Amino acid sequence: MAQTITIDPVTRLEGHGRITLKTNDQGEVSEAYFSVTQVRGFEKFCEGRPYYEMPALMARICGICPVSHLIASAKACEAIMSVEVPPTAAKLRRALNLAQTIQSHALSFFYLASPDLLLGMDADPAERNIFGVAKAHPELGRAGVGLRRFGQHMIELLGRKRIHPGWVVPGGVTQPLEQAKREEILALLPEAYANIKMALTAYKRIAGRFQDEIDSFANFPGPFMGMVSESGGLAFTDAGLRMIDAEGLVLVDNLEAAGFDDCIGEAVEPYSYMKFPYLKSLGYPRGAYRVGPLARLNIASHAGSPLADIEMNEFKKLANGPVLGSFHYHHARLIEILHGIEAIEQLFSDNSILDKHVRARAGVNRQEGAGIAEAPRGTLMHHYKVNDNGQITWANLVIATGQNNNAMNKGVLQTAQRFVKGDKLSAGMLNRVEAVIRTFDPCLSCSTHAYGEMPLAIELLAPDGTRLDLVQRP
Amino acid sequence: MATQPIPPLSSHLPHLPGHALVLACGNTLRGDDGVGWRIGCAVEQRPPCDGLTVVLTQQLLPEHAEAISTADIVVFVDCSAVTAAGTVSTIDLRPAVSLPRILTHHLDPAALLRLALDLYSRTPARAVAVTVGGESFALTDQLSKAVRSAVPKALEAVRAALAAETLAPVTHASTHAS
Repeated sequence: MAQTITIDPVTRLEGHGRITLKTNDQGEVSEAYFSVTQVRGFEKFCEGRPYYEMPALMARICGICPVSHLIASAKACEAIMSVEVPPTAAKLRRALNLAQTIQSHALSFFYLASPDLLLGMDADPAERNIFGVAKAHPELGRAGVGLRRFGQHMIELLGRKRIHPGWVVPGGVTQPLEQAKREEILALLPEAYANIKMALTAYKRIAGRFQDEIDSFANFPGPFMGMVSESGGLAFTDAGLRMIDAEGLVLVDNLEAAGFDDCIGEAVEPYSYMKFPYLKSLGYPRGAYRVGPLARLNIASHAGSPLADIEMNEFKKLANGPVLGSFHYHHARLIEILHGIEAIEQLFSDNSILDKHVRARAGVNRQEGAGIAEAPRGTLMHHYKVNDNGQITWANLVIATGQNNNAMNKGVLQTAQRFVKGDKLSAGMLNRVEAVIRTFDPCLSCSTHAYGEMPLAIELLAPDGTRLDLVQRP
Repeated sequence: MATQPIPPLSSHLPHLPGHALVLACGNTLRGDDGVGWRIGCAVEQRPPCDGLTVVLTQQLLPEHAEAISTADIVVFVDCSAVTAAGTVSTIDLRPAVSLPRILTHHLDPAALLRLALDLYSRTPARAVAVTVGGESFALTDQLSKAVRSAVPKALEAVRAALAAETLAPVTHASTHAS
C-alpha cells in the first residue's frame, strides 16, 4: 500500500527539519523531500542599518560559524568602501576562519556523526549519541573535545569571545596580535596535531564498513564549487571560486564576489524555505551543485600544507576524478582540520603576523558590494546595496547549506530507495535517511535565518497526499 | 548586561584543598534566565576562595566535561523555570544514568557529570546546583524584582556549597546511580 513516512525532527543537525518520503503502490520510495520550515528574515530587517554594522548583525545568524559571516560581510563592506585590507589583517582573518573551521568540523564529526560511524547505523538509538561514544571510545571523545577547545580558545584569544567575536570589522580587524597570544596559540598545536591524527587513523580504519552507505549517500554525478588558491590549493578566505563538473572539467574559474550573482541563480520550491542555488548557464535543477569540504577537496589539486597534502593524495585515490559520494564529506572534514592546524602554524610562525597595521578606513565609495568566504559547510556570499548615507537598502545572502539543498534532497531519495522497504520502518532505516543529511553537516539556522525552534519530521504520504505515518521525536 | 548592582559574598573562605569550578549558565537578554550568568560574574569579580575557576556560558556543552573532570568541587548556577520565583535551591548532583536521546542543544548538569566520568574517568567529589526560580523570560536585560531580591541568598548558597566538606573524587569504580 502506498504510504507517507515523516521523520520529525531529524536529529544531530545544527537546527531542525523534516523529511517526507512518498511510496508507491509497490511500497517503493518514489519521492523524498527535505523541508526546512521556518522563514528567513535577516536580509529584510537589516534594511536601513548602516553598512558598517552589518558584520556584527549578520554574525548573529549562527553560533557555529559566525566568523565566516563576519568575514563575508566585512568583505562586502570593503567592496562598498573600495579598500584593500592590510596583509596582516588578511592573515589574521584567515587564521580566525581556520580556527572556526576546526571547531565546527570537530563538532560535526565527533558530536554529530561519530555515533553512527563508531557505534553503527543500526545501534540502539538510546546509545547512538555522544554519550555512547564517550563510553565505547573515550579516547576519540577526548580528541573531539580537545579539537573543539583548540578552535574555540583560539577564536576567544583573537576575538575576545568564543561566539560572535567583534574583532573582524570592515577594513580589517580592530587590534593587532600580541606576542603572548601568538605563543599561546603555537603552544596548543602539538595536542591538536595528536588529536586529528588519531581521528584520521580511526576513521580510515572503520570507513570500509560503510560501503552500502558510501554507494548510496548522495552518490551521484554533478558539479562542485569552492574557493581555490592561485596555485590550486585549498583556500578559505581570499581567493576566487572555481566550479567543476563530475569529470573534473572546469565550468567556471576565478569567479569573484562581484560576479557571483551573474553566474549563480536561486530557485525556490514550495516545500521549503531554504533556496536552491544553481549555475545559471546549466539552468535549474541541472546546474545545482555541491559545496563544502568534499567540493573543496575535489576542486583543489593539493592542500598546501605537508601533512594534509599526503592525506589529500590518499583521498583523491578514492575515485578516478572527483569523489562523488557524499559519505566522504566526513573524511574531507578531517583532512581540512589537519590542514587548518598546519596553516595556522604557518601563519603564526611568520613574524609578519605581529604587524601593527591591521585596519584600512574609508567611507562609502560604491553603492554595491559583495564578499565571499568559505564557511565550514561551504561557500558563503553576502551581497549588499547602500544609499549615499551608507544605509543598507537591499541585502542577499547565499548560504553554504542552501547550495547543498538539491544534493541533500537527491541524497534523501537515493538513500530511502536503498534502505526503506515496504511498510516496516526500522530505526536503522530511518537513521540512514537522517545520516545522509548529516554528511553535509547542514546548518539550518544559517540557511533559513530562523528564529526559535525548527522542528523536522519524516512523514509517509499516500499517492493522493494523505498522511499515512509520521515519525516525530519529542 | 545587568544594571542592578550585585552584592559581594559576605566573607572570603579559607583556602580550599582542591580546585573549585563554578559553571554559571544563562542568557542575560532573556530576563530572569540571566541570573545564573550574573551570579557567576559576581563570583568572578569577588572570588570567595582561592583556586576557583568561573566559567560563564549560555548553555552547558560537552566540552565543559573536561573542566569538570579536573575540579574537586563544581557548582552549577542557573535559573529554574519550575520553582517559584525567587526561590533559591541547592541540589546535590550525581552523574546521570539515563540520558536524553536528543542532545543537540540540551545538556543538564547530571548528564555532563556522566560525560566527564565516561570521557575522563573522573568527576568532582562534590557537585551541586544552585538555582533561582525565575518569573519572566521575556526579551529584557533586567531581572524581575523577585529574582533580583534573591541574588544575595543565591550568592551565599554558592559560598556555602564551596565551603562544604569535600569527599574523595568520583571515579568509574565508585560511581552510583542518581
